[in-house]
Amino acid sequence: MAEEMQLQESRGLPRKRKFAKKQGHKKKPKTMPPPHGQKKVKIDKKMKKLFRKRAREYNSDDDEDEEENEATVPTTTNKHNGEEIDSEEPSEGEDNAEGGRKRWNKNATDGHNEFSEDEGGEEDGVVQPGIMKFTEGVRAFKLAFKNIINKSVSEDSLGPILSGHKKLIADKLAEEEAERETKGEAKKEKQKLAEKGHVKPANYLVPHEKFLLSVATKGVVKLFNAVNKAQTAQKGLDPSRNKDAKEIKKRTKAAFFSELGKPSFTATGTSAKANALTNKVEDEQPAWAPLQDNYMLTSSKLKNWDKMPDKGVSDDVGRASEDSDSSDED
Amino acid sequence: MRKKKHGGFRRPFVVKTNTNTKQQPHLSSVDPITGKKIPKSFVFSRGKIPGPLKQLQMDLRKLMLPYTALNLKEKRRNNLKDFLNVAGPMGVTHFLILSKTATSPYLRVATTPQGPTLTFKIHEYSSAADVAKSQLHPRCPKDLFTNSALVVLSGFVSGDLPLQLTTSMFQNIFPTIDVKTVKLSSCQRIVLLNYNKDTKEIDFRHYSIRLQPVGVSRRIRKFVQNHQVPDLRNLQDVSDFVTKAGYGSESEADEEAATVTLSSDIGRVNRASMKSAVKLQEIGPRMTLQLVKVEKGLCSGEVLFSEFGKPGEKGKSDDENDGDSEGSEDQDQDGNGSEDDEDGEGEDDEDGEGDEELD
Repeated sequence: MAEEMQLQESRGLPRKRKFAKKQGHKKKPKTMPPPHGQKKVKIDKKMKKLFRKRAREYNSDDDEDEEENEATVPTTTNKHNGEEIDSEEPSEGEDNAEGGRKRWNKNATDGHNEFSEDEGGEEDGVVQPGIMKFTEGVRAFKLAFKNIINKSVSEDSLGPILSGHKKLIADKLAEEEAERETKGEAKKEKQKLAEKGHVKPANYLVPHEKFLLSVATKGVVKLFNAVNKAQTAQKGLDPSRNKDAKEIKKRTKAAFFSELGKPSFTATGTSAKANALTNKVEDEQPAWAPLQDNYMLTSSKLKNWDKMPDKGVSDDVGRASEDSDSSDED
Repeated sequence: MRKKKHGGFRRPFVVKTNTNTKQQPHLSSVDPITGKKIPKSFVFSRGKIPGPLKQLQMDLRKLMLPYTALNLKEKRRNNLKDFLNVAGPMGVTHFLILSKTATSPYLRVATTPQGPTLTFKIHEYSSAADVAKSQLHPRCPKDLFTNSALVVLSGFVSGDLPLQLTTSMFQNIFPTIDVKTVKLSSCQRIVLLNYNKDTKEIDFRHYSIRLQPVGVSRRIRKFVQNHQVPDLRNLQDVSDFVTKAGYGSESEADEEAATVTLSSDIGRVNRASMKSAVKLQEIGPRMTLQLVKVEKGLCSGEVLFSEFGKPGEKGKSDDENDGDSEGSEDQDQDGNGSEDDEDGEGEDDEDGEGDEELD
């Protein structure tokens, strides 16, 4: 039996060691079913006690101690007790399982313990460094964390470490600002140039505009009156009848000349357009264009074929609109 | 039109649609009544022009409707020659060219294919949108642009050559109307060019014509026009509404002078042989122009008149005209612009449309 127990131990302890070395976190609960292929072994009371104590006092940091302790079980326990007695005392009063679990949990936070280890070690000069209770470790961690947080409350987003970088960034921002300003100015210049001459009329009826409006109105009125005269005179007559056609011509000519006689003496020479019409009327030709004798036959080129080709400007002035190419399109 | 390279000459990539294609499938090029050719125009720009000027260009196009290409698309590579070549088959007689230099925008009015070119400096301009904004009641009836505008020139009586040219040019741009047969309802717009002798500036305005029956009280007229049921709360009887003398607006005094007797019915409210008042409202762009240069050819040729003397012949260097052999090249004095050579070189320089230097 003892051999079997030892076997179990030897098998179990390497397992423990393995766990401890690699993770340092897990510890088998005390009441674990025996591994496969092994019978349940009766453990006598003394061994049980021993095991319990071990569970309670288990600390992953004591791996090396454990190894040594494996050789002689009883002696090691004493040693254990001797070493850890100070730190473990408060916990002895507690429930075994609980204590073990706590220690187990504490060891599970190995990473955190690293912060507090030093401090814990420093605080308790008597106690071996790195060995801490869970609650103390928590408190220590809290303190440490708070210190760090309180320290790094700086308004600068870059952090205290990157002050050199800060300067660089400030320079770059200033540069960008300057660039933007110059660009904005250039754009404004460009816009101003584009808008040159563009005037938005603020007030609609300035006196000058009113004057222009009246001039235009006079022109329109004259035109409408002329049209009126021409058309009412013509109303009763039908252009297709020869007798009437002559009558029409007479009347329209008279009407036109009388009508146009007036404006040519006024200050506003609005007779310009009517001149074009008088030209036509003086032709003494039928009203409808194709009936005219020179329909589509007159063009600038043909008219002046015997004269110099570039006669100058006067030709352009005199004619109505003959300067197009004579491509006859119907 | 597809772009074809044909011996170095490029056909223009010009896409045009006449707005009247829905109403009139074919715009005749010859007026059936007067027998004269209907003048058609292109309004386009040379060189890059800024935003407000583009608006002005659009407004000018609308002004020249219906005998213009409303959706004329031009590429930067199009040169004057391209436009000329397209203009021939389409029967286009006039070009209105906008351009801009550092000093001011310029408008050139030219007769194709080898007619004279008048260059105007635009001192001030406002687009149609600006004008509409400044008005309290902007009006733009839908069919305003289906007929071409009338033109009224005033103040041009001085009679010297450049002015005469100007008058004839502007008269020719707009189709003549036959007084005997014209329908008054088709006269809806008017373009006014007023010459100021002192400042030598030409005011360019564009109005819409509205006829209002005169002698009708304001309320009844509004009622008939707007179809809004009037408020008869405070009246005892309908006769009150009809006969009550409303206050006359100040514009009614002006109307007295502007009354015409119509020969035909126009719209619903204006009846023949009844007096109606002519009311104009400004639509469209406003410009203040000054004639600075007259050239014999199409943007080239001998300079017949130059406002600022003749400090050498400056001008926007465009390609040579078809048949013009006057021989005087346009050169840039300051060397800022560049010459467009269209004489058969394959690769055209897109940046050749330099700035026009006239000062």
